[in-house]
Amino acid sequence: MIDIMTTLMTLAQAAPEAAKATNVITEHLGNLIPELILLTGGVLCLMTGLGREEGTRKATAWIAGASLLLAIIFIPNIHTITKGFYTKEILDMSGFIKLAACSIGFLLLLVSAAVPDLLPQTKEAEKASKFDPGNIFRGEYFAFFLFSLVGLMLTAGAKDLIWLFLALELTSLPTYVMVASARKNIAAQEAGVKYFFLGALSAAIFLYGFALIYGATGHTDLTEIKNVIAAQNLANGELSGMLITGLVLTILGFCFKIAAFPMHYYAADVYQGASSAVTAFLAFVPKAAGFAALIIILSTVGWIYGPEKNHLPEILEILLWVIAVASMFLGNVLGMIQKSVKRALAYSSVAHSGYMVIGLLVGIPAVASDSAIGNGIAAIIFYLFAYGLASVGSFGILACVRNEKGEEVDSYDEIAGLFKNHKVIAAILALSVFSLLGMPPLMGFLGKIYIFGSAFQAGFIWLVIIAVINSAISGAYYLRIANAAFFGKPAEGITATNTPGRLTGAFIGAVATLVLGFTGGFLVDTASHAAEKPPVLRDDESKDKAAAFDINLEPQAALNKDIYAQ
Amino acid sequence: MMTLAETGLQYPVLAHFLTTGAILFALGMIGFLTRRNLIIVFLCTEMMFQGVVVTLVGLSKYHMNVTGQTFVIFVLTIAACEAALALGLVVLMFRRKRTLDSLSWSQLSG
Repeated sequence: MIDIMTTLMTLAQAAPEAAKATNVITEHLGNLIPELILLTGGVLCLMTGLGREEGTRKATAWIAGASLLLAIIFIPNIHTITKGFYTKEILDMSGFIKLAACSIGFLLLLVSAAVPDLLPQTKEAEKASKFDPGNIFRGEYFAFFLFSLVGLMLTAGAKDLIWLFLALELTSLPTYVMVASARKNIAAQEAGVKYFFLGALSAAIFLYGFALIYGATGHTDLTEIKNVIAAQNLANGELSGMLITGLVLTILGFCFKIAAFPMHYYAADVYQGASSAVTAFLAFVPKAAGFAALIIILSTVGWIYGPEKNHLPEILEILLWVIAVASMFLGNVLGMIQKSVKRALAYSSVAHSGYMVIGLLVGIPAVASDSAIGNGIAAIIFYLFAYGLASVGSFGILACVRNEKGEEVDSYDEIAGLFKNHKVIAAILALSVFSLLGMPPLMGFLGKIYIFGSAFQAGFIWLVIIAVINSAISGAYYLRIANAAFFGKPAEGITATNTPGRLTGAFIGAVATLVLGFTGGFLVDTASHAAEKPPVLRDDESKDKAAAFDINLEPQAALNKDIYAQ
Repeated sequence: MMTLAETGLQYPVLAHFLTTGAILFALGMIGFLTRRNLIIVFLCTEMMFQGVVVTLVGLSKYHMNVTGQTFVIFVLTIAACEAALALGLVVLMFRRKRTLDSLSWSQLSG
């Protein structure tokens, strides 16, 4: 009955709000310029990929790269963000994730720019006297690459359950095609089929969760959902069963995207079967989208439960605890017993999801602390950046090296002794796996300190102990990779591919982990400002935020005045 | 013999919609986990989607707003996209293996 009353009242209020709607749409579109640029770039890629001249077709990768760079420039408040590296500007999580998506996306593009060129059917099609568009998929590859990144960026900025669902599907659907078609062998197709079917299952599961969340609150708008949840919690002292069921199903569905227990089993097969360049993409983009979605969904509930008012509801906390611990142990123990480097790195990806889920448990403290450590969400988005760079480096290197049959290297024997003949390649690989391991000067170490430190401050002592033990276990296979590459007996017929883009991408990724390990303080600051407030705010909270923005806009306005005065 | 009015089934209420949706979803999930023919497996995920759709429509009626039904349209669109992809992958598989048995894909393991 109360629900009906609220609905009627909402309808009564709807009339004056219609005028506001136009403004809202303009505001939304203003925030979506980078996505629109990438979408336009993707459509252009679809056209030039089938161009009549060879030059036009070869330009496709350049168009994709140019649109990524252009998108970075047009990220909303990019001036504030770049300034925010050094000053204390407030920006939101979606801005940070969009920046990460575009910049790491550019490295990923460098790594995978040669994927369509290296396919045998492309070579045949290019050599043929009459161009046969049926055998070439350059346009599709780069277009899907960009579309998937757009999905990630839209996920980060989601304000509605429907939007979130569509954005997540936009992230996933292109990756299924990329996995199945970027390599001309049966393993890639097997990986594609497995990935697709399990992806569809996970989509159905989190969609059912969305339906139940909608049922429990009567809204799909995330702000409204947060309002209703807060009101229900105030009225009943607990959350309704339907809401909890919905949230649990949603989290389980998202576990597929982040490759965490209990939906982790596809990761090894798919990462191994896919072309290494695509694997680098899979390791970062869907995972970032999954974590962005998890942060958004969990912030509708908020970290305001428990005796100290800084925890999630108990059931969700237990669920996330189990997910974190199981992912860490499964990932690291299974990673240790693999014979294939790609499978080991895939299981390491599962373990990294486990570490990041700890950050979800910590959440955003109600009162922002002075120190940078303490905010779990900030730690997650920083860790995603670190993980993205290191995985570009490691998988990018695996894509660079071929065995004697001309296939991508996969086993420990094949990367053995890389250092002897390919010094730079071996060094990049070692740097990347050390960052994944969390060696002190590198960025991965900073990320781990950040996550474990925030968990320690929030009182998750056992989780920190388990995570540290797991970091030690993970050393076994990371060091095995580095050891094989440096001190192993060189295998016969190992060659580096003639793809400067790949090496450059991996090189930038690995060097960035080193440089940002030393100078990453500004990125930590930016992350902690980005996650100062949860991405979804209650109505009363957003008023506070608006006030905070007003205060913060004053120096900007003063700055503008100065500029105009000159 | 009870009349229809006595059974309480005369007017479908929210519980009926939710139960139908949940049953469809559960059947789809069971089918997904037990069947081996890839087309059937795919249809099972479609059935899970339809379970969600029934739930959404029922809840939309209950809350007396159309947001749930709007959601349904988007869900159906995505389901159509997935159908296109699934059929593409199934055709690809049949060309390579001449079978649709999901257990024939077992090259990757370990």
